[in-house]
Parts: sequence; structure tokens; C-alpha cells
Amino acid sequence: MTAALAHYLDVATRFQAAPEQASAPQWLKRLRADALAHFERQGLPTTRDEAWKYSRLGSIAEGTFIPRTGVSRDTAHLSAVVERLGLPGPRLVFVDGRLAPELSSVAGLPRGLTLKPLRDAVREDGELLESVLGQRALANEHAFTALNAALLEEGVLLRLAPGALSEVPVQVVFLTRGDAPVLSSPRILVVAGESSEASLVETYASAGPAGSAATFTNAVTEVTLGDNASLHHYKVQVEADAALHVGALHARQGRDSRFASHAFAFGGAMARNEVHAAFAGEGGDATLNGLYVGQGAQHLDNRTALDHAVPRCTSRELYKGVLDGQSRGTFHGLIRVRQDAQHTDSRQQNRNLLLSESAQADARPQLEIFADDVKCAHGAAVGRLDAQALFYLRSRGVPQAEAERLLTYAFAREVVEAVPAGPVRANIEALLAVKLPGAAQREVTA
Amino acid sequence: MALLTVRNLHARVAGKDILKGIDLEVAPGEVHAIMGPNGSGKSTLASVLAGRDGYEVTQGEVLFDGKPLLELSPEARAAAGVFLAFQYPVEIPGVGNIHFLRTALNAQRRSKGLEELDAMDFLQLAKEKSKLVQLDAAFMNRSVNEGFSGGEKKRNEIFQMAVLEPRLAILDETDSGLDIDALRTVAGGVNALRSPERGMVLITHYQRLLDYIVPDKVHVIAAGRIVRSGGRELALELEEKGYGWLGLDGGKKTTAEARR
Repeated sequence: MTAALAHYLDVATRFQAAPEQASAPQWLKRLRADALAHFERQGLPTTRDEAWKYSRLGSIAEGTFIPRTGVSRDTAHLSAVVERLGLPGPRLVFVDGRLAPELSSVAGLPRGLTLKPLRDAVREDGELLESVLGQRALANEHAFTALNAALLEEGVLLRLAPGALSEVPVQVVFLTRGDAPVLSSPRILVVAGESSEASLVETYASAGPAGSAATFTNAVTEVTLGDNASLHHYKVQVEADAALHVGALHARQGRDSRFASHAFAFGGAMARNEVHAAFAGEGGDATLNGLYVGQGAQHLDNRTALDHAVPRCTSRELYKGVLDGQSRGTFHGLIRVRQDAQHTDSRQQNRNLLLSESAQADARPQLEIFADDVKCAHGAAVGRLDAQALFYLRSRGVPQAEAERLLTYAFAREVVEAVPAGPVRANIEALLAVKLPGAAQREVTA
Repeated sequence: MALLTVRNLHARVAGKDILKGIDLEVAPGEVHAIMGPNGSGKSTLASVLAGRDGYEVTQGEVLFDGKPLLELSPEARAAAGVFLAFQYPVEIPGVGNIHFLRTALNAQRRSKGLEELDAMDFLQLAKEKSKLVQLDAAFMNRSVNEGFSGGEKKRNEIFQMAVLEPRLAILDETDSGLDIDALRTVAGGVNALRSPERGMVLITHYQRLLDYIVPDKVHVIAAGRIVRSGGRELALELEEKGYGWLGLDGGKKTTAEARR
């Protein structure tokens, strides 16, 4: 056993044995204990694992991260950070993995929507939680999901009553302060009733000064979409340079449901983001989009998995990477079309733009098709800025650096423009402008 | 003083000598046509003047306004007043036509110490200039050249020239691939931009363009050298007799020849 594995096992064992956990419901205790056993059996992944072949765990594998205990927060500062990340509307904010009620507000939540801390949901919605928690994200298949479940305590339940509609996006914000090597293990649950519709924004950011200590966020999101339900899910990861991030989203889609995942990975020393969507009913539609922008020594790792288990479902994927410095981006996209899944219509595209000699991109599409009457297309590309386009811009007087930024932003904006116009897109544009300075001047429209 | 002076210019591409001693002098207000068969070096001359990568000047010099041009970056040449209308305008998905042009104009203005135009003022200017080549507002808001027809791309080049107001415009085969209506529109735009301060170099394979834009001087380029210079009548003679009449290798038939 590696020292790191021993460390995380020790952390989880202590957590589960702590006196304040004695009153937890039996089902939760059992879930945590089972997850711990799964984690111990699987161990931390290595590059010998197929799913982690192009990944590196960095200091996650050195094992010094521990959950935050005790609460003392600089509310004024944190509140300013939340405002700066800024979207209006109902939100729950967590700091170092712990709910920060003073920064949170569920005022203005539309009728039919419930947004509550997981701690409350454990007490109040035990039956629902038992039926969905750990049912989409399987602890026996994913080591980090098992670790998250073994430490399961904080997080969010978003519940949409049948027919509920929300025009305002619901937000969950996870801040890390970087004053200590903190391990955060949030769990986000979305349960959407029939014909309900909402948007959820998960934001991961750092609140500490530059040069703060490394933190490790290990997040799991489970989405259950009822028949004809619709969810726009946004993940905006803008953590500090030293941050380590592992996130996995698992969605199960009912008949005729629509799920759109927009994943933006701008931050972190190592950030892995997984999105898994499984069709459980015919007529479902999934859009999995992603934009990863790496600089310096960032390692941004994206994995998607689409499970076309039933006929007549549609999926569209567009992942783009912009990689500068010595950064490395990976995309591994699995599309599985099972034998019964006739009339599947699936398209996947991954395109990478390398801005430096030493940046690197790995594109790995993986199609497993067992049905015969399907449309499946995929494409992957790794390239540099178009020399013809650069010369064209320069020949009109645009300085080289500005021309490069213009083309880089043009490449990235396709993913941003797939976000419906509104405050969420404006916010992502602003964050991209910070990441790619000088490039994001807005269009003039006639 | 000449606006553009090219002296004994030699250039090579991918190790192959293409220009073998070009001499050319363009004064302000003059329109020069450079004609020649395919592969004679016409477009190479345009690329060398605009500063495209991959062209190695091995001998000679180019002065713009009496100052050495070849040591400048492409953007510095543009700011000095050199404009190249591309033979094949580049499609740039994701970059708005109007945003691109405002960025270019403001970069040029900055380098001259002029104040930048704000979005509204620029839009006003763009609308006015777009009338020259009948380019409507919908084109201005699309990505640069993306999905444009051949004629639309060439009109967009002249529109950009109208906005940027260069002192020397080099039009590289702006007429090729255009049907007669599009050619008239483009030529009309170019003629409107003729002025006593501005020099123009029209690079073309076909005499037809010169029916619409009447040059002051005509040069015939072959195998990397200017082999004959004259007035408008030289172009007509070429139309009549083809390039073969000059005793040139690789001479391609002109439209007049091909019709026979």
C-alpha cells in the first residue's frame, strides 16, 4: 500500500469514527463504510490504469490533504470574492468544503425548486437520498468517487418538482482559501421531475492570495433527469495555480430528456473533469461541451463517456483545448452504443490549439458500437495558429501578439457561444477574458 | 519623389529563384499594371512587398517613401501605408469582419499617434465605405470572409482598402475569378479610391481588368524580370497577340487567343 493510500484511508476512517457522526442515519453510515472498502480495494489510480493513462495525479499522490475542521472565515473578503465571480440569483456557497451560510441565499428560488445543503437533506429527505445517492456515480468503479463517498457530508440537493421551470440559474460555489492543504469532498445531487427545466452553475474558485498552498477538491455530481426534463449544467473551474481538482458528473437521462453539460477548465495545477451521461429512455438528447485553457505547467484532463443504452437518442460533443507554455491537455471521449440502441445519432469533436512548442495535447476518441443502424461521427485535431490567417491580420496592421490573441479567442469562443445568451455566458466570457488577456474585446454589432 | 522604388530585386521561395532583378518606380497618383503569364513572379512580387513569410530577398532593395521597406514587419508596412489586396483572401472563422477591421484601423492609428475610433464612429465610417463596393451590413457582421463567394471576398478586400486608406495599394489578381458584374463593382470601388496621393499596383493576368481600371503604365513581367514597359497600348497589344509574341517561355494564351 502506498503512503498516500494509507493517508486517505486514515483520514476517512477517522472521519467515520468521529463522535459527531454517531447520529448519522444507518443507510449513510453503510454507504460511507462500503465506499471506504471500495476505495481501499481500488487504491489511487496510476497511469497504468486505462482511464488514467494520460493523467498525472501530482501531489494528490503525496497524500497530505485533510478535510477542514473548525470554522473561522473572513466573511467580508469571501463575500467580495463571491460577488466578483458574480452571478445574481439563489446560491449556496462552500468554503474549504464547508457550507458558509452567511454567504449563501436561496431567496428568489422559483416555485417547485428546492435547493438545500446536503446535511439538511440527509435529515429531511432521507428516502429520496437513499434512492439516488451513489446510484449514478458508482463507488465500486471509480476510486475518487469512492473517496468522496467515504467522506460524504457536505454538498447540495437541487430538486425540481414535476413541471417546475426556473429561468434564473441556480448556483453552487466552492471556494478554497489555500491557507492549508485542505481536502474538499462535495457531493451535488440533482433530481429533476418530469418536464421540469433548470440551469445549475457549479463554480470552483480560490479565495486565497497568489502563491497559496495546494488544495485538493474531489467533487462528485449526480444528476437524475425524469422524462422530458431538461438541465443545463455549467461547471466553471477557475481555481488557483496550485490547486488540484478531480470532478466527476454522472447523469442518468429519462425518456425525451435534455441534458447539456458545459465544462470550463481554466484553473488548477492538475484538473481532471469527467462527464458521464447515460440514456435510460428513448428520445433523449445530450450535449457535452468543454473548453480547457492551460498555461504554465497546468495539466487539464477531460474525460467523457456517453452510454447509448436505448434507441433514438442524440448526443453532441465539442471539446476544445487551448494550450500554452508547458501545459498539457487531454481528451478521452467514449461513446458506447449498445446493441439495442438503434437510430442513435452521435457526434464527437475534439480540437486542440497549441500556442507553444512545449505545450501538448492528447486526443483520444473511443467508439464502441454494437448496433448497426446508427449515425456516429467523431473527429480529433491538434494544431497551431493558422499562418495564413496570422499574415492576413498583420498585413492589415494588427500587431502580431494581438493577431495571435484574436485568433486564439476566435478558436475558444465556439464553446462559449454554445452557452445560451444571458448572464451565465457573460460571466464565462469575462472569466475567459481574464484567462486570455486582451483577447476578448466584444463584437460591435451594426 | 517616388512613392515606391524597387531596385534590382531578387527573391527566392523554397530555394528557388523567382524574382531575378525587378526595377519599378511608382509615383503618387499613378496606377501601374503588372501583367505576365502564370509563374512569372507577379504574385511573388506582391508577397515580398507585403512581407509574407517564406520569401527570401537575396539582392536589391525596396524603398517606400524613400525609406527601406523590407526590414519592416507586415504590420509596420501596413501602418506606413502599404496595403495588399489578396489574390486569395483568408477565411477566419470566429473573428467578426467589423471587429477585425476596427482592430486593424485602430492599431494603425495608434502607431501614428492618432486617437482610436470608438465603436460608434467606426461603424459610421464602415457603413459609408461599404457603399463603395455595395457590401451590406450582414457581411460586416459575419466572420472574416467565412462562407463568402469569390466576388464577395474581393469586394471585402476593396472595402478594407477604403477603410484603411493606404498610400500604396497592391491588388493581386483582384479580377481573377470574377464575373463581369462583380468586376465592374470591384473596379468601381478601386476607381473611387484613386487619388493624387495614392499609388496603385494592379497585378493581373488578364487585360480585361484594364478596360475598367485604366492604368498609367503597364509592365510585362516574365521569368522574374520586367521585360517590357509602356502605356495602356501595351496591354492592348498583349490582348491582341498574347504573351507568346514577346518570345517568352511558358506563355499562356490570353482570353483573346483562347477564343480563336
